[in-house]
Amino acid sequence: MKELIRLAWEALFLKEDPYAEMRDSSNAVVRGLALVALVAVAVALVGLVGTTLEWATTPNMGDMQRIVREGIQQMDWYKEMESNPQFREQFQQQFEMGWRIFPQVFGAPSFARAGLRIVLLPLRLVLTWFLYGVVAHLFARMLGGQGNLGQTLGSTALAAAPQLLNLATFFPYLVVGGVVGTWMLLCRYVALKTCHRLRWGRALAATLLPYALLAVVVSIFACLGGVVGAMIFGGGTPQ
Amino acid sequence: MIGELIQLGRDALLFRHEAYVQHAARADALKRGLALLVLVTLVGGVVSLIVDIVGDLRPTDIEAELAQVEEGFQAFLQNMEAFTDLPPDFKKGFYQGLRAVRPGIEIGTRIDDLPTPLPKPLGVLLSNLGNFLSRPFNRLAGWIGYGLWAMLIAKLLGGRATVSRMLGTTALYATPHILDVLKPVPCLGGMLGLVAAVWGIAIYVKGLAVANEFSVGRAIAATVLPALIFLVLALIGLVGLLVFGLALGGA
Repeated sequence: MKELIRLAWEALFLKEDPYAEMRDSSNAVVRGLALVALVAVAVALVGLVGTTLEWATTPNMGDMQRIVREGIQQMDWYKEMESNPQFREQFQQQFEMGWRIFPQVFGAPSFARAGLRIVLLPLRLVLTWFLYGVVAHLFARMLGGQGNLGQTLGSTALAAAPQLLNLATFFPYLVVGGVVGTWMLLCRYVALKTCHRLRWGRALAATLLPYALLAVVVSIFACLGGVVGAMIFGGGTPQ
Repeated sequence: MIGELIQLGRDALLFRHEAYVQHAARADALKRGLALLVLVTLVGGVVSLIVDIVGDLRPTDIEAELAQVEEGFQAFLQNMEAFTDLPPDFKKGFYQGLRAVRPGIEIGTRIDDLPTPLPKPLGVLLSNLGNFLSRPFNRLAGWIGYGLWAMLIAKLLGGRATVSRMLGTTALYATPHILDVLKPVPCLGGMLGLVAAVWGIAIYVKGLAVANEFSVGRAIAATVLPALIFLVLALIGLVGLLVFGLALGGA
């Protein structure tokens, strides 16, 4: 485990040595899998601590909801409209619905979400690592890469290293933000360049093409969803 | 370590060429650059942190807050009136908006008064510290996101930097932001922020030139082009939206 942590730490600083070490390892896939799972579990556990501290310094959500509702009901526009029973009913429904969505969106501490993350984050990271690794491997080979699939998966597993930044969420109210995703992209570039011994342009293409493919797949599904939705809600029938 | 970083920061501020070259050649250039960026960002935010904590620990006075908001509204209106005659409806709308602010402030104050499992001052301290410690991550996100594009353009212009060397040297751009320590000072803070931004861009150009071993002219192009491309794309998007809106309106 100590060895994996050392590799992840060195990979974070984008030097080629740790990626080459992983490529040349005899059990690169197993080590890669262990590394991704280890980082994910550590981040999720640490996040639970941060969430606990946030919860302990946040007022009760039910009390906040009551105060916001009462505050809105004191506003001039509400008083003008409240004589209409239909408005009162709609307001109540929309307020309840909004209260279920907005606190989550704006980061209200939730034990359930933080607890679920201990299972879901490792699953998500492992799945993403594996899918990205396989697709990037295909593109890298098409672009003249020399690495095998095991070596690609081993090297790209080190791209999970920037997730270590999320360990800072041990501290409540700390937001790590978008830096992790961009940093992971850079790590993937170094991983593919090192593993497949590609020139920078080809390595860049091999790094970005899986993202482009994902965008195309998502667009196709969105279009299909739109068509199906239009048929269902528009009342049309397939020709 | 800290002493070494201070020396590096000083050399970066003074554009000492040898220091840039030595820094770029080091195996740990990225580690040092990042350490300097984080250190500068944290030091630059210390005074704001103290001001914020003290402000949040003071009991809230709704009337004082409303008076402050009204002062802001009136100053804005006066500034607008210096340039153009404002219609009476405009002013009326502004004051209606001001009246709408009161319930919002009252809601905020009542929520602030709610009890929490841990003592309130501890919550204030932790939330401000959390925001303070988020600052380096915000700066990292902006720098690394822009760096990707600058690096791509630099490569296309014949640059020879590796990713770690390029990021390690451009991270020095954060050094002038030590001036952010005076940010809470009215007027002066804003001016110094502008000075730090311009100085930081100049350091970015120098770092880019040294890391890629090419001319300052190419470094300027690699620094500026990503921003220009974003601007052009944003304009195209805006024009597209306008055309779309007009087409919808005409339909």
